[in-house]
Amino acid sequence: MRYLLRRLGHASLLLAGVSALTFLFTAMVPGTYFDEMRMNPQISPETITALRAQYGFDRPLPLRYVSWLSSLLHGEMGFSFAYNSPVAPLLLVRARNTLLLTITSTLLAWAIALPLGIWGAERKGRLPDRLLSWGTAIFLVIPDLALALGLLVLSVRSGWFPTGGMASVDFEGLSPFNKLCDLALHMILPVTALVLSSLPLLIRHVRAAVADVLSAPFLLAASGHGIPKRTLLYRYALPAAANPLISLFGFSVGVLLSGSLLIEVVMSWPGLGPLLLEAILARDLYVVIGGILFSTFFLVGGNLFADMLLYWADPRIRTESHAR
Amino acid sequence: MKVEATIGKNMQPLLRVENLVKRYSKRSLAGTPEEFLALDRVSFTISPGTTLAVVGESGSGKSTLAACLACLESPTGGSIWFEGREIANLEERARRQIRPQVQLIFQDPASSLNPRWSVMDVLAEPLILQRKFSGAEIDMRGASLLERVGLSPETLKRLPIELSGGQRQRLAIARALALEPKLLILDEALSALDCSIQAQIANLLMELQSSLGMTYLFITHDLAMAAHLADEIAVMDHGRIVEQGPVQKILKQPEQETTRQLLAAVPRITLSPPSLEQ
Amino acid sequence: MKAQRALAGWLLALCALHGIVVCAGFFAPYDPAEQDRKNPYLPPMRLHLVDRLDHLHARPFVYSLKLREGSLDQYEEDTGEPHLVEFFPVGAHYRLLGFLPCRRHFFGLENARLYLLGTDAYGRDQLSRLLFGGQVSLVAGLLGAGFTLLLGLCIGAVAGYFGGWRDSLLMRLSELFMALPWLYLLFAIRAFLPLAVSPLKAFFLIVTVIGIVGWARPARLVRGVVLSAKERDFVRAARGFGATNGYLLRRHILPETSSVLLTQAVILIPQYVLAEMTLSFLGLGVPEPVPSWGNLLSSLQQYSVLVSYWWMYLPALAMVPFFLGYLGLASSLQERGAAYKMESENLGNLT
Repeated sequence: MRYLLRRLGHASLLLAGVSALTFLFTAMVPGTYFDEMRMNPQISPETITALRAQYGFDRPLPLRYVSWLSSLLHGEMGFSFAYNSPVAPLLLVRARNTLLLTITSTLLAWAIALPLGIWGAERKGRLPDRLLSWGTAIFLVIPDLALALGLLVLSVRSGWFPTGGMASVDFEGLSPFNKLCDLALHMILPVTALVLSSLPLLIRHVRAAVADVLSAPFLLAASGHGIPKRTLLYRYALPAAANPLISLFGFSVGVLLSGSLLIEVVMSWPGLGPLLLEAILARDLYVVIGGILFSTFFLVGGNLFADMLLYWADPRIRTESHAR
Repeated sequence: MKVEATIGKNMQPLLRVENLVKRYSKRSLAGTPEEFLALDRVSFTISPGTTLAVVGESGSGKSTLAACLACLESPTGGSIWFEGREIANLEERARRQIRPQVQLIFQDPASSLNPRWSVMDVLAEPLILQRKFSGAEIDMRGASLLERVGLSPETLKRLPIELSGGQRQRLAIARALALEPKLLILDEALSALDCSIQAQIANLLMELQSSLGMTYLFITHDLAMAAHLADEIAVMDHGRIVEQGPVQKILKQPEQETTRQLLAAVPRITLSPPSLEQ
Repeated sequence: MKAQRALAGWLLALCALHGIVVCAGFFAPYDPAEQDRKNPYLPPMRLHLVDRLDHLHARPFVYSLKLREGSLDQYEEDTGEPHLVEFFPVGAHYRLLGFLPCRRHFFGLENARLYLLGTDAYGRDQLSRLLFGGQVSLVAGLLGAGFTLLLGLCIGAVAGYFGGWRDSLLMRLSELFMALPWLYLLFAIRAFLPLAVSPLKAFFLIVTVIGIVGWARPARLVRGVVLSAKERDFVRAARGFGATNGYLLRRHILPETSSVLLTQAVILIPQYVLAEMTLSFLGLGVPEPVPSWGNLLSSLQQYSVLVSYWWMYLPALAMVPFFLGYLGLASSLQERGAAYKMESENLGNLT
């Protein structure tokens, strides 16, 4: 328990540090930011001065941070200039869209990688494993930008899938079942791109972790006792290989919000990625801070999640922390 | 055969240690600081030209003692007198002056030599660091040092990884002698070598002591080896010296339990040093 | 020494690939800024060896493209006149390696234009732009990686060697940086700097930004190496000879970090090239008219281009052989490291 509390405390400190750092970044060039705004004909000089006063840009930095932090704790993350709405609801909607994509593709990727990785590890060094190695290498070396664009080009030329967006034009008028189908159809391309970009590395890691365990002396001893192969694999090998895999899974959870930025932009999926990009280009300060903080939250949370899973799964960590 | 003990000779001791204390504290962000007392009021003297053996189990504080004496660590308390000069609490620059005079030979010959450097580089390093010698002088000294420890000059170009354990330890000794130190501290220097090699290196050390008048502080867990090489033995346990005296007395009339246990651990069947038989 | 040969092989392949890009002026038939407004969005020309009269030619040749009858954007080959590919012809001026004025190119055409990868909206040869764009992207990746490693080395060495409060502070800082999503951080930093700057300034800006973002992991790795090297007996022995901190770091400790830095470099360089590509693709990197692999792809954001002009996608694949080379290098470095470790352990056991 104390171990978990300590990790939680650590994570909170980390988040606080990140928020301070992000704030520091944005504060380092306030002049430039408002200069760019001044050049934008849509924003009048009065708005600029009003905004400056409203957000207290005239006040010293620590005060600004504290006031922003306190509003954050009330659930408010500032105001978006470009969308003319509070930031928090905006972020939540987009985050939901992103998570729809990333959760699906993460689950799919793991569902494919685990059996394939185990299969490769069992046949380590032999032809099927070599083929797997080469196959993953081929997809590893194709950058995800190329993957996403390539899929887009293919789909456009074949006309099979809708090219981008999350919903067709007549979405609202569809029956619930058709709505689901429409959503699924729009999801196919981005999910494929995400899965293809994360699968090779995942397979390699799973294979490496399982192969390490399969060559361990204790497993050899166990098989010498005549334990059948299936049992060996599932009840002896996999639990031992769990540690690196759990950490990896924690990492997968961590990048749920931030890992799909590029693919969302390319496929015009209305997720957190495109929002952040627009906000960056439009100098929409609070959206950027909010977006970064949100994804950092997931990253730190993912690590924490992995730590907790490890604590629960690995008796060694439990005894070690109790011994302290 | 050992050189006769020179204890009681009326000379100023080369090294005098008084109530040396070394405390390590581990501070973590949350929780109490842990303290570990490595040296607990250690006192002894070493006369020039003699060998003091410090014997004890692992964890008794021997290596910490070596580090403090060689000015690689600062003691928490107490004093060290080297040639009449107090060296325990010097500042860094003065320390750097003292260090060449007290040299350390380590247990693992492989890790005490930089594996990427050639033998010549290894030998030259102390000379280069002192900045007193020209290139030609360094080459000459290097060759003569090799000769002194019984290594052939063709080893100059080789890498330490190509040498055997005994050869590497000879190289370490040669390097330590480069700066003509007054005191040589051998921290378990023979423990990692094969038995026959141990004897060879021990003999080399003895020969060097008699020809160069070296003073040794010999740290070991092996009482038999200590008896073979030393004039005096000090027994350490948990950071304190529990018993100290001339070799014969320690071996024949051990007073403390620790000493008796160490004696009992010496295998009787193997060659006992001649000094034990009397 | 199979590991050594594999390493050498990958190194050679990478050098060859980089060499082609470094000598882009020689290998590219045209200047990347040269426009051919009369031929926008020309599809790639095909190389032939046998013409329509079934004659085999000694050299490959192409047919120039003309507009199909009654079409505004469909092209077909003008099979009337085969244009033989010339090797080492005289062409546009360029500076080899940046300073040697040259006019010889690797290949080209006498009387017509050769567009092996098609043209873009302004009629610029995509192959030439690809090669020159490679210079920008690769150099960005290399410089950025160099910067990161330098930063990581300094910070890691200070943290590992001096320890104490410096170590704690720097390690907390590195945790912070590692907790931030990399790509987001990159975008954010880039975005909060002036957006509309000259290509050269933009280039150095993104190199700096990319370099700063990734220092945390190399720093931690360097710190680990320094921590263990600091305790090695040969370092303590050198201190016993009167060595100063600077000497120890310079002669004993930092050389130990070389293998860690090398493996990090091989991993970071392709990542950073990709980062530059991503930034430029989204308009945050190197701006037009300077080509880079990223901004060559930015036209694909228009639906019309996506549908009709598939060859604009090809620069996306330019990175693939480089990625493959770096991947191969990384894994053979790993194998060599493992083999070397085994060897030295065996040798150690012999004594």
